[in-house]
Amino acid sequence: MILQHYLKEVKKGDVSIKKTVKAILREAKTLNKKHHCFNIISEDLALSQAEKQEKEPKGRLAGLPISIKDCICVKDVESRAGSEILKDYVPPFNATVVKKLVDEGAIIIGKTSQDEFGFGSFSTNTDNIPKNPLDTERSCGGSSGGSACFTQLTKHPHASISESTGGSIANPASFCGISGLTPTYGLVSRYGLIDYANSLDKIGIMSKTTEELSPIFDVIKGHDKKDSTSLDISSNSNNEVKKIAIIKEAFEIDPKIKDIILSNLEDYDVISLPLTKKYAIPTYYLIAMAEASTNLAKYCGLRYGSTLPLKGSFNQFFSEVRSKYFTKEAKRRIILGTFARMAGFRDAYYLKAMKTRTLIINEYKKAFKKYDVLISPTMPILSPKFSEIKKLSPLENYQMDTLTTGPNIAGLPHLSVPTNSIGKLPVGTLLISNHLEEDKLLNFGRKIEEK
Amino acid sequence: MKIGIEIHVQLNTKSKVFCSCTTQSSEEPNTNVCEICGGFPGSKPVLNKETLQQGIKVALALNSKIASETFFSRKSYFYPDMTKNFQITQYETPFSINGKLDNIRIKRIHLEEDPGALIHKGSTCLIDYNRAGIPLIEIVTEPDFKSPNEVRLFLRKLITILEYLEVYTRKSEATMKADANISTTGEKVEIKNITGLKEIERALNYEATKQKETPAKKQETLGWNSDKGITYLMRTKETEDDYGYIYDPDLVKIEIPKELVSKLKSQIPELSLDKSSRFKKQYKLNKEDAEVLASEQKLAEIFEKVAEKIDPDLAAKWLIRDLLKIINYNKTTINEIKLEVKHLIELLGLFQQGKITDKTVKDLLIELIKEPFSPKEYIKKHNLEIISDSGNLEKLCKEAIKEQPKAVKDYKEGNEKSIYFLTGQVMRKSKGTANPKEVEKILKKLIR
Amino acid sequence: MKVDKELIKKVAENARLNLTESEIKNILPELKEILNNFEIIKKAPTKNIEPSFQPIEIKNVTREDKTSKCLSQKEVLKNTKHKSNGYFKGPKAI
Repeated sequence: MILQHYLKEVKKGDVSIKKTVKAILREAKTLNKKHHCFNIISEDLALSQAEKQEKEPKGRLAGLPISIKDCICVKDVESRAGSEILKDYVPPFNATVVKKLVDEGAIIIGKTSQDEFGFGSFSTNTDNIPKNPLDTERSCGGSSGGSACFTQLTKHPHASISESTGGSIANPASFCGISGLTPTYGLVSRYGLIDYANSLDKIGIMSKTTEELSPIFDVIKGHDKKDSTSLDISSNSNNEVKKIAIIKEAFEIDPKIKDIILSNLEDYDVISLPLTKKYAIPTYYLIAMAEASTNLAKYCGLRYGSTLPLKGSFNQFFSEVRSKYFTKEAKRRIILGTFARMAGFRDAYYLKAMKTRTLIINEYKKAFKKYDVLISPTMPILSPKFSEIKKLSPLENYQMDTLTTGPNIAGLPHLSVPTNSIGKLPVGTLLISNHLEEDKLLNFGRKIEEK
Repeated sequence: MKIGIEIHVQLNTKSKVFCSCTTQSSEEPNTNVCEICGGFPGSKPVLNKETLQQGIKVALALNSKIASETFFSRKSYFYPDMTKNFQITQYETPFSINGKLDNIRIKRIHLEEDPGALIHKGSTCLIDYNRAGIPLIEIVTEPDFKSPNEVRLFLRKLITILEYLEVYTRKSEATMKADANISTTGEKVEIKNITGLKEIERALNYEATKQKETPAKKQETLGWNSDKGITYLMRTKETEDDYGYIYDPDLVKIEIPKELVSKLKSQIPELSLDKSSRFKKQYKLNKEDAEVLASEQKLAEIFEKVAEKIDPDLAAKWLIRDLLKIINYNKTTINEIKLEVKHLIELLGLFQQGKITDKTVKDLLIELIKEPFSPKEYIKKHNLEIISDSGNLEKLCKEAIKEQPKAVKDYKEGNEKSIYFLTGQVMRKSKGTANPKEVEKILKKLIR
Repeated sequence: MKVDKELIKKVAENARLNLTESEIKNILPELKEILNNFEIIKKAPTKNIEPSFQPIEIKNVTREDKTSKCLSQKEVLKNTKHKSNGYFKGPKAI
């Protein structure tokens, strides 16, 4: 409740915005040395916004410090989506979410670390790897690792704007023990989000508690004419959760995690989602990689980002720049994605995955005829050590997303709620609702947290 | 010989196809560029409604089938004129298929974005993205042409249609681009990226002649060097198989309701082909004149208004023989001249009544295309009406006889030509308003 | 077509990536493993199933044909080192 409390105090004039912002910037700098949660701390911008708000607090989020995942464009602040190929790139425009937040008085304190372009589940596919707030030997999860890490660690009022393609909000929220909301696809404008996979990308929010998500969610959701896929309808305000079910296949995991989650629930049915279990991972990766491989074509050393001296033909020049600055994982996904949409393979992989996506959506839709919320663990494991991650093959890496890819493919809103710990390592419960029923998630999430 | 073509035509919209940058040309490079057409990370396209509507009108005029829904795709290839290294175009779901113009079948028409412009400079190139994102339609024909000349006639006809639909301006002629494939008895060769209507004709003529002499042994992709006037072998990395099309996930499905199609259909003006045959019938014009008058919408419009008041034959002659010549001579166009139809009717009316001479009409037309004025008043003010009153004419003739005794003497001595000289003198005195035959008659009478 | 060295080379070239021999050697078994695992999708019952372009059907989003301000030339060129007289400067393109 710190966040709402702070906003009230600002309104009453009982707290200095400047002092709060200065304190959180100082804290961010200190934490960053150990935890690498920021790619850049936007001190100048934050201080000038704080100055303005201190004089005349304005808007629903007046004076509230917000961190932004690196892949979301902030005008005149380096926004490189955790990549080296976009190093020093300074966008000439603000993402719509950033504009909405600033218009409501929020203070932008920095860009949080992440897997390059969101390509990963542990935030290790980048040059600035965030370290878990509870154990620096372990991962924060990914790809929004930096956002989750700082949200857990800060002592000040704060929320983080992050992004999920296949689980990049829920996963780190779970590993860092915070609350993370991924809204319905299209409910929050993607304008200014550096694309990973456009038909899957969703901007969402992280905060320490579910309660604190609401004021931010109210500000960032809503139609945007600049994003063709932005929904022109509002979310459903009915937040009553009458019937819940746990997803049978999702609990075929570590019994300790299973027990913690089930001990918080009562009166649930068990439902089976066999198609999702079978096809979610290949569907997700094929669509995501096919789209990503086209999105990444624009990075070629010509108009922005890292480059080399102009030499040779355009083909040689582009190839050299791209080979030098993309990480291994980015190259792997570009190659897989290019392959999946190539003539001869396109029907069997890319187009097929677009159809299996429909199968998965239909399976969920059927379940929501009966249930308000579906429940699973967020992650099948606890946060792993970096040394363990190194041993995973790419496929084993991809399979870590097994529980989060389903709702992401179907564009369903989902919320990871912190639910006890095993030792010091947190466990997250994943709540999934039908499209536009975020309020049910927020309502039910609060109840679980209270336990 | 079989030829098929793909023509890219810039549409006539105010803003670009996926962003609101202007489509006006600019002297300065990279000034009509925003984060969307400039391909900046995080920007997203939104379709300009007007581009699709203009496209549908063209498709209807080419007797094509309009799809009930359409979608955009990303065509991936790397080139410095591409801001995203993919082009937003249409692949599986073009907005129109199966059209026909005369005997040429049109396979498909789709909407896409233009890339930027390159200036090649030694080991580098300079890039201007002002053009990036200008809306294009691509019209793809079946290989139904039997000669480059048929292509030429088709393109002329197509341009007339595009002009009638107001989706095209003359300036687009230079930016019209085409790819063509030609095959004779050998393999099919493709010529890529020919710019400008004239160049398309030249390139096709060159390659057709070449293919007739030595048919291609294997499939080839050629470029066109307009300076040297030759085709050359192009080394392309991408073939159709490598474009790796995906549906553009930043854009959404567009439905084209039947009502919209009928509304757009009703907005299509009578096209030149229908118009020229109507002119032939209604005004009893010969085929050539009817075709010329129908070739430009404005000209046809002027003609029809004039023909309500003036003998259509006369009107046609003046418009084709004189007005068009004057327009060409002044390097302007029918759409730019200041001529008002009511003044033209006034002028030709006076001529029809025999009140002014051929020369007066021509002189006034030259002035009327520059600024509007009433010919009636002008003629009155400058005494340009034909002098038909013989008393007055006789006076002028007498003056001329008095002033030119040598010519009178010559005539009397049998030099017939001297009478023309004297007539000229009288005509000058009358400021061209006298009827020369009348003058000659009076002079002959007076000298005798 | 088989997933082999030649295919990887072709795909990488298409994507403008230079892969070294050792990179190709590493990536080949990884891709094979991934694609083998993804094979299951081929069996999915998608007869008469329409593809989903987006997770929620969104359609008919267009804008009016109106112009608005573009970026300034300075802003357009701000992020590149390769420029000259208002133009982007690129590598040899013919």
